[in-house]
Amino acid sequence: MRFFSRRPSVRVFFATDIHGSETCWRKFLNAGKHYQADVLVLGGDMTGKALVPVVEEGGRWRATLLENRYEFEGEDEVGEFEEAVRRRGYYPFRTTPEELAGLEADEKRREALFHEKMLGRIERWMRMADERLDGSVRCFVCPGNDDQFEVDEIVRAARRVELAEGRVVEFGDGYQMISTGWSNRTPWDTYREEDEEVLEERLRRMAKELEAPPEKTVYNLHCPPYGSGLDEAPEITPDMRPKDAGRSTVPVGSKAVRRIIEEGQPALSLHGHIHEARGSTRIGRTLCINPGSSYEQGQLLGAVVDLDGGKKVKRFVLTSG
Amino acid sequence: MAGEQTTGSSAGAGDLFQRRATGLLRGWSVRDAFIYAAFSINLITLGLFIFSYGPFIPEGSLVMAVVLSGLYLVFQAVTYASLIAVMPRAGGDYVWQSRILGGGIGFVLAVTGWWFILWHWVPIYANILNVQVLVPLSRIFGLGGAADFFNGATGLFVASLAVALLASLYISLGMRTYARIQKFCFYVGVVGLAVMLVLLLVHSRSDFVSAFNAQAGEVFGAGGNAYQQTIEAGSVSRPEVSFYPTLLLIPMVVFFNLWSNWGATLYGEVRGASDFRKNIYAMGGALLATTVVAAIMLLLFAKTFGWDFYYAANNAYWSGAENAPIPDWPYPGLFAAFFFDNPLLQALLVGVLSLWFFGWCGTVFLSSTRVVFATAFDRVLPEWVAKTSRNGVPYVALLLMLIPSIPISYLYAFGENFATYTLDATLVIAMTFFGSAVAAAVLPWRKPEIYNASPIARYTLFGIPLVTVAAVAFGIFLAFCLYQWVFRDVYGVNNPQSMIYMLILYAIAVVMYVGFRLLRRAQGIDLKMVYDEIPED
Repeated sequence: MRFFSRRPSVRVFFATDIHGSETCWRKFLNAGKHYQADVLVLGGDMTGKALVPVVEEGGRWRATLLENRYEFEGEDEVGEFEEAVRRRGYYPFRTTPEELAGLEADEKRREALFHEKMLGRIERWMRMADERLDGSVRCFVCPGNDDQFEVDEIVRAARRVELAEGRVVEFGDGYQMISTGWSNRTPWDTYREEDEEVLEERLRRMAKELEAPPEKTVYNLHCPPYGSGLDEAPEITPDMRPKDAGRSTVPVGSKAVRRIIEEGQPALSLHGHIHEARGSTRIGRTLCINPGSSYEQGQLLGAVVDLDGGKKVKRFVLTSG
Repeated sequence: MAGEQTTGSSAGAGDLFQRRATGLLRGWSVRDAFIYAAFSINLITLGLFIFSYGPFIPEGSLVMAVVLSGLYLVFQAVTYASLIAVMPRAGGDYVWQSRILGGGIGFVLAVTGWWFILWHWVPIYANILNVQVLVPLSRIFGLGGAADFFNGATGLFVASLAVALLASLYISLGMRTYARIQKFCFYVGVVGLAVMLVLLLVHSRSDFVSAFNAQAGEVFGAGGNAYQQTIEAGSVSRPEVSFYPTLLLIPMVVFFNLWSNWGATLYGEVRGASDFRKNIYAMGGALLATTVVAAIMLLLFAKTFGWDFYYAANNAYWSGAENAPIPDWPYPGLFAAFFFDNPLLQALLVGVLSLWFFGWCGTVFLSSTRVVFATAFDRVLPEWVAKTSRNGVPYVALLLMLIPSIPISYLYAFGENFATYTLDATLVIAMTFFGSAVAAAVLPWRKPEIYNASPIARYTLFGIPLVTVAAVAFGIFLAFCLYQWVFRDVYGVNNPQSMIYMLILYAIAVVMYVGFRLLRRAQGIDLKMVYDEIPED
């Protein structure tokens, strides 16, 4: 099936912030064939945010998901529930009331469990990619600020997926891409965040390594540029609630990212991080895209971009697969 | 930064354990959503305005119509809460319809209902500004010339410009500032409403008759027993109240209470799917709370003004009775202010009540810009439509609202028949909602994967998905209203010219969609890709 009537020199499919959603990862792997893309890029934040205990007591199982309490009688029902949890991006685990109480009381044990579950899922995803991707599509993954550093090692070990963090990769018709999952500071104090000055140095180092002309370069930077509209997030209260019903939004992107785009003027700049700020904008000649994220609903929001070596990228669509 | 659930450690066994990761711990608070919905179903601006049409169906009970429709419209809240939970995305109706029913249907219904038609609401908002704020304040301060001006065509056009510019200003200030303005206006406006209700509660009918007669002389220059003259000028034959005519009042009343979902195009994107029940509590709660207050207010009108007087004052105004002692729209806020024998206190109450208007008037452009944005994100409209300034002002989308609204307001004010062309303005929005009701009803079958992955999949009624039950019930309600609007004269909207005009708007939307789709194809972009779903396996 051909979607565009004129074949571009390179077609890129970009998605980001799937946060552990099994459904989104499966769709991502199929996006190459579905959209006839040559290159798949995943922009980071692959790991999920929550554990869901499935508690066994007296031969029955119970769990709570999204404020709904569930009770199960047999293995089939439990398995079905666990699958639904995985599809949403969360990590189910079976436990007993005693173990659960221990976990609640011990933060280190909880963290260790998170660690095990998150990395286990990434390992499984990489195996899935090795099985499903046949090598006709290049697949780049760059962990984001929410992803632990061990994720990099797991991705690096995959056969069909290429780790893009911190390096220049080349694809298609002489295109070069730099990637990083590092962001400016957030209120959550996550794994890969740093002050703007340090982030700017990191970005400059990478940009200097590019040899292709700007019209053949792509930036894949998890954090969106400041004040671009792709970085509008709900303003939050000190206890991490949205102010004024989420209608009060503020730009939270990176000024360093903005500066580096303004100076380098790549053809395309791919971003994520702020799920709500889906959209596209231009900074000079650069097309900047944040496809947003709707991972909990199992929707893989993405962008299909045709690169043809022109001064500006003209052909792209935001998808909602 | 999508929303998340409660953390587990304090919530007990079975709740989610959440790690530190960027993203909101919870969606929004029920209170905030409640405020937004309550402000959209605006009891003062929209409610009082439409209640004044009650005399057109005198055998119907206005109070019962408000209560029945308010209760029934909880189905609307459930329908929209479900859609938000399944697809929490900016653009609301457009996104849901385009993803579930198809891009063309979504574009045509949403663009006509949320974009084109809201140009026409600018003079409607302006009229409310005039009759509830500018005219009463002019009268209180003895500026009869100004009151006459704002009652006239030029005054309406000037007020329309003011509304369009004020709405644009709010949006230019950014969501953050506008949200704060709205919050202030809501809370102070509620105080004004409470004062008004207390005044009505603590004063008797005879107190009101005395106050009205005195102030009608002071403010309007009316002599004698203005209260009695009003009843005589607008006398309405009021047969015994019965059920079916009460139902027939509902298509009128929806002018005010059909909008609990007004924020759906805006806030869908900032929340977690888990907020499904909170959405219902907020939207449904606002609807029910407003319904209760509306019913109390109407009962207080009956107690203090007297039902005969209230109906007669409205009937005299709408029928243009020449012998009516008050020439203006009978604003209950002003009547309540008449209990103060002091112009400054009167102006203060009318001014505080006006915050219901000033906090709300930005909504005429706000939700529309989100729909325009969403269509531009999908590349149906050109990319530049979604442009924002460095400080985040969506200036192109804003201009697409502002610029057309000005000539339309001019035609509305000065055109010989143009105002009648716009009579279907509510009907067109209801059609858009109807599209979303259909989308919601078929969602479990059209998009089973998305539906099954959502929190609403758990809720069924006799084995039927709750979203389908609610959407069908809401759809029946809309169908009833649409049928009555089209076939009954009493609503004044079954005007052939208006119907043709609205069909032209739909035709423009169809032409735009087909035109842009062909243009995109010529450019090498197939818009089908936007709505496609990638297979999972």
